[in-house]
Amino acid sequence: MMYLESRRTFLKGAALTVAGAAIAKGVFSTDAIAESVKESKFTNTPDTLSFYPPQDQWNHFQELSGVDWKRGGIDRRGVQSENNPDGIYVNDFMIVPTACSNCEASCGLTAWIDKKTFTVKKYMGNPLHTAARGRNCAKGYATQSQMYDPDRIPFPLKRAPGSKRGEGKWIRTTWDEAMTTIGKKMGDTIRKGDLLSRKSVMFHVGRPNENGFVPQVWETLGLDSYNSHTNICSSNGRTPSIWTANDDRTSPDWANAKLIFLNSSHAADAGHYFQQSAGFIADARKKGAKLVVMDPRMSNSAGMSDLWIAAWPGTEPVVYLYLANRILNENMVDKKFVKKWFNWDVLMNDTAYLNFMVEKGYVSKLPADKSFESYLELMKELYSPYTLEFAVKETHVPAYKLEKLYDMFIWAGDAISSYFWRATAAGNRGGWMSGRAGYFAIALRGAIGTKGGTFFHHWHVISVSGKGGSATVGQGVGGADVPKVQAYNELTWPPEWPLSTYELSYLLPHLLSDKEWQKKWTDRGLTVPSKLAVYIPRMYNPVWINPDGFRWLEVLKNEEIMELTMNLSPVWSETNWYMDYVLPVGLAGERHDQHSEATMPARWSSFRQPVLRVALEKSGWKPKNPARATLEAHIKAGLGEVWEDNEFWFDMCVNYIDPDGSLGIKKMWESKRNPGKPVTIAEWYDAAFGDNLPKLKETATNDPRYMNEEFPVYSYLRDHGYWMEEDKIYHAMEHELKFEDGEVISHGHKYPASSMHVGADGVISAVDHKGKEAKIGVEIDGKKVEGFATLSKKLEFFTQWAVDWKWKEYAIPFYPRNDKEKAEMEHIVSHVNHMYMKEENAFALNTVFRLPYNIHTRSANSKHLMEISQNHDPIWISTKDAKRLGFKRGDAIRVRIVDTVSGLESGYFVAMAVPTEGVLPGTLACSHHGGRWKLTNAVTIPNGVSDGKVATGAAPRDLNNKEFLKESPANVGKAGSQTIIDNYEGTTGLNSFGVPVAEVQMDGKVGKLKYVEGIKPFHTERFADYNRDSGNIWWDGLSGSWQNAVAPAHPDPVSGMHCWHQKVLLEPAQAGDKIGDIFVNYENNFKTYQAWRDQLTRGLDENSTLRRPRHIKRPWVRLDPSAYDVTIKS
Amino acid sequence: MEEIIARSNVYALLSRVLLQELDHERLELFCTDETILEFLPHWRDWKFRNVERQKLLEEYLNPDFANLSLLHLIPYETFYTRADQMIETGGANPVTDFYSRYDFLVDYEVARVVSADHIGIEMEFMHHLCEAQLKAFRESDREASDELIRVQYEFLNTHLLKWAPMYLINMKYEARTPLYYDSAEMALEFILSDHEILSALVKA
Repeated sequence: MMYLESRRTFLKGAALTVAGAAIAKGVFSTDAIAESVKESKFTNTPDTLSFYPPQDQWNHFQELSGVDWKRGGIDRRGVQSENNPDGIYVNDFMIVPTACSNCEASCGLTAWIDKKTFTVKKYMGNPLHTAARGRNCAKGYATQSQMYDPDRIPFPLKRAPGSKRGEGKWIRTTWDEAMTTIGKKMGDTIRKGDLLSRKSVMFHVGRPNENGFVPQVWETLGLDSYNSHTNICSSNGRTPSIWTANDDRTSPDWANAKLIFLNSSHAADAGHYFQQSAGFIADARKKGAKLVVMDPRMSNSAGMSDLWIAAWPGTEPVVYLYLANRILNENMVDKKFVKKWFNWDVLMNDTAYLNFMVEKGYVSKLPADKSFESYLELMKELYSPYTLEFAVKETHVPAYKLEKLYDMFIWAGDAISSYFWRATAAGNRGGWMSGRAGYFAIALRGAIGTKGGTFFHHWHVISVSGKGGSATVGQGVGGADVPKVQAYNELTWPPEWPLSTYELSYLLPHLLSDKEWQKKWTDRGLTVPSKLAVYIPRMYNPVWINPDGFRWLEVLKNEEIMELTMNLSPVWSETNWYMDYVLPVGLAGERHDQHSEATMPARWSSFRQPVLRVALEKSGWKPKNPARATLEAHIKAGLGEVWEDNEFWFDMCVNYIDPDGSLGIKKMWESKRNPGKPVTIAEWYDAAFGDNLPKLKETATNDPRYMNEEFPVYSYLRDHGYWMEEDKIYHAMEHELKFEDGEVISHGHKYPASSMHVGADGVISAVDHKGKEAKIGVEIDGKKVEGFATLSKKLEFFTQWAVDWKWKEYAIPFYPRNDKEKAEMEHIVSHVNHMYMKEENAFALNTVFRLPYNIHTRSANSKHLMEISQNHDPIWISTKDAKRLGFKRGDAIRVRIVDTVSGLESGYFVAMAVPTEGVLPGTLACSHHGGRWKLTNAVTIPNGVSDGKVATGAAPRDLNNKEFLKESPANVGKAGSQTIIDNYEGTTGLNSFGVPVAEVQMDGKVGKLKYVEGIKPFHTERFADYNRDSGNIWWDGLSGSWQNAVAPAHPDPVSGMHCWHQKVLLEPAQAGDKIGDIFVNYENNFKTYQAWRDQLTRGLDENSTLRRPRHIKRPWVRLDPSAYDVTIKS
Repeated sequence: MEEIIARSNVYALLSRVLLQELDHERLELFCTDETILEFLPHWRDWKFRNVERQKLLEEYLNPDFANLSLLHLIPYETFYTRADQMIETGGANPVTDFYSRYDFLVDYEVARVVSADHIGIEMEFMHHLCEAQLKAFRESDREASDELIRVQYEFLNTHLLKWAPMYLINMKYEARTPLYYDSAEMALEFILSDHEILSALVKA
């Protein structure tokens, strides 16, 4: 009625100053209908909605151009041909599978290679990948924009002679020159043969995204200096798995769970395996599963969960122990499972520990006897202090939520899936206890190894990347003949952290510059390196991602500490700026990797491939130098002199590190088929997969498509990009030992059956063919089964060996029950616990959540990811706290970082406040994935076109052109054969889509960074058509602060994890402050690292005889047993 | 004749504002044409209307437009008329069939929409029908003129009126700038008013 009453006349419309026809957009055309398209196989509507054609069409798949519908479809325009040039373009694709490399999940990708231009037109998922199921997240599809990033490094770079590191003067060099210089330095160092030399050539990997290849290289080099980023990532997540099951990590069965209990947002939001996990979680919820998210920040997952538990950071163990208390005392224990699979008998037989428990007041009296019933009574008493009241007080979670959680936990039965990884684990000192207590609660309900339950990683993964030894002259099958490494590197495994889960990698610059520390351990009889001969990060940006970045800069610039450095990296980074060499290796579609992850209860592997090389080979092309086929292919494709790690290391070992074979390294990587030459990709992977995955080998060698191929297993993977060896792996610890031909088989290893014996505790031992005794299983109820990988072969909720390694009070899942215990047990109390928040403006800063479109430092080369990720990294502050402190949305605030161990201040970063209800009061959230920087917009490195450089080829790039397939550049990588880089005029930008320019100052004590220029629209000739939208940039690239540099190193005293969370003091920005500014007192940060080391750790001492327990994982290279032995002088 | 011109102009005006973000030329018109300003009273009186044009587009109008036509509201007929709320982008869209009957084909490269039943396109179609009616009127082709009135009546009743009011009411509630608030209200009033005019003509 309102409209009728207020009706006005529109007659005035005739009086517009411009006629309607000029105002309307004019969207109608009156084209004539195109010629009949009956002859064409294309239709305007597809036969199927599947994104993917059947695999048998992958080599030749035609598809209408994606813009055809905008032009009215083929009914109007017809299909493009010589006679109908205005018709719809038909893409002529070859589809080659590979795997994403932008996070660790290894989702399948397919590259859709346009044959007519020999370019990748798009990356899609791989429908054959049963875990990723043909889907990808934004990062997967971004592989294309990374491939055609105008700033990708086009050829090997070398620091200009006479310039200093970080001066930004570069020259173009050849692969051969770089490999000769680096290989000689490596060879000369290794040739010395002493202990120090085995610790002085360091490889430092970011996300490996492969399962064992480079570790195998380092093993054949005889070096204990393979280093990884793991302790800034997941050590506290892995420690509970190691202590409980001696396994590396959790492996949940999301898809079949009834309760999905996420500890942090990681699995479903942005973290580990999120694309695959999120899909499985959605499937489970569709079937009625409940989702609980425990996270002080309301992540995307928390926002759509059935229950959001915002526990104060580091108090999560209390939530689990509250559940355990109720499960025990309300008699909801799965007694059958607990009796069978807990090592309760070990505890009940350990009188000394039971006495300790009484003495500490954990229990009031010793158990009546050693029976299982008495064990349960003991547990009931032990965990009874974790009441609802206590849990509410310590965690700040409201009582009704905890009660609801318990009800859901019980409702789910044995189908509870969880994952212990970042946030809680990575953020907090003692964060590992969260996983310990979590496993305990889950296991009490029997939800371990069940359908829909929680299990462990090693049953669900395939690691064969380093096991192609049978293709080489020297390694033997699976690397059996490679000598074990005889060294134990203190730089990566410092004696203060004997139980460190992985290397203390983020302390590398601290340890290398801490002369006092070096002297201390040298005086006590260890051989501690004070410098590195060669330092090789790979696709890694340690300067930016590690805490205390200015310390990294100091050490990287110091040529006495780091004698020679190179990064194997496809892109520019903060680290590369300070390197001696930057050698461009490929991205997800440009390299070979075997890559498997535990994303579902199955054993699957992706096969990552350089797709353009594969397309060339499948079209009939042959490389001139088979050892450098990928390099030749990438030059032919116009990507530049871009290579891959596998072929690089094959060639390095055979021709550059040990050219005359005198070090015994050459033969390890020499081809058995062509001695003297490096092993080839097909040879290596045919052996690596074929020797270790029997079902795959059987399938490939019986498949008519591959059975007559020279390398059937390799060829199968080349075409599929994926293999699943085993599916639906549940209750694997119940696998019975197999007996065949006088041998007993456990976990695939064979032992003479005659050597087997069963101990009083049921543990079955046997002696392998090399004379080494191993625990191979356990006898339970008369059955001989494989059990878990622990010493007791059961789940160890009493970790007896921890007592010998000085952590007696933490051998059981525990959390201090009062303030006195909190003070005494500070090792498992978060350094950001609320007890440290004494000042009005003090907060616990949660830093370690990921952003779904960015992975650490791997995104700034993708224009798509950069466009969607701008200005997304503010400080989340609760509305209540913001009001109290007077902060409004958009305000710049100084975030001062204060250490709660040393009491020292680290400096501050300036960030933007966003008040929200989505964060627990008293805590803040600001992801540490923001704040990339560079020192200049562009560098000039002449292409040298006029300098006798050679063209990449004469024939047009076209896979259907026989001339093109006949050509290949000669002598690639050698002097005089440097190729002309397409449309490269001598100057390259540096991450022009994503990284703003900053000014950095540092004086050895204090460091500052200030952004001076945002990114701007630009024009590029390189991959010009693909980047024709570079003029449309609307963002300035400023997306957070480089807070990592302000953060001091916080090594967890047990796991060695860098505990990322920070105690911070907030104050308004001061005059001159801009969002993004940082100020760092890195002299204080050094003292903070020392304080955590000296006040909290329980390291080796004069009573020590071993570096580390022999039975727990010591990743990457296999050590000679003698390397574990140690004598520490008093 | 004045009525036909007015109707044609208003359809053109509304189709433009509902179809895409304004360009500088059209924005200028919306800021200066007195008749338009009279149609859009809140817009006329809005204090931010005089900020620098580029800023006005980038920081006020375009974000609002993106919200109203891309992010939170769906300006397509089939979204409102199909039980499954799917936009029919293929050949089974009755609106496309209607256009085809009169040899109208949408050029998607110009329109930047995913389907021909976008409100801006339906409005522009009505504008073209008015223009054709005007031509017939000027040429005194009574038969054609009557036929065109009937076609307009049919299209308005079988399509626009079936769904556009719902979209426009939603748009009015969602709008965060007076331009789109007023445009929604004006469009709603106009199609109701035009229904009356056409009903009267058809009956006559």
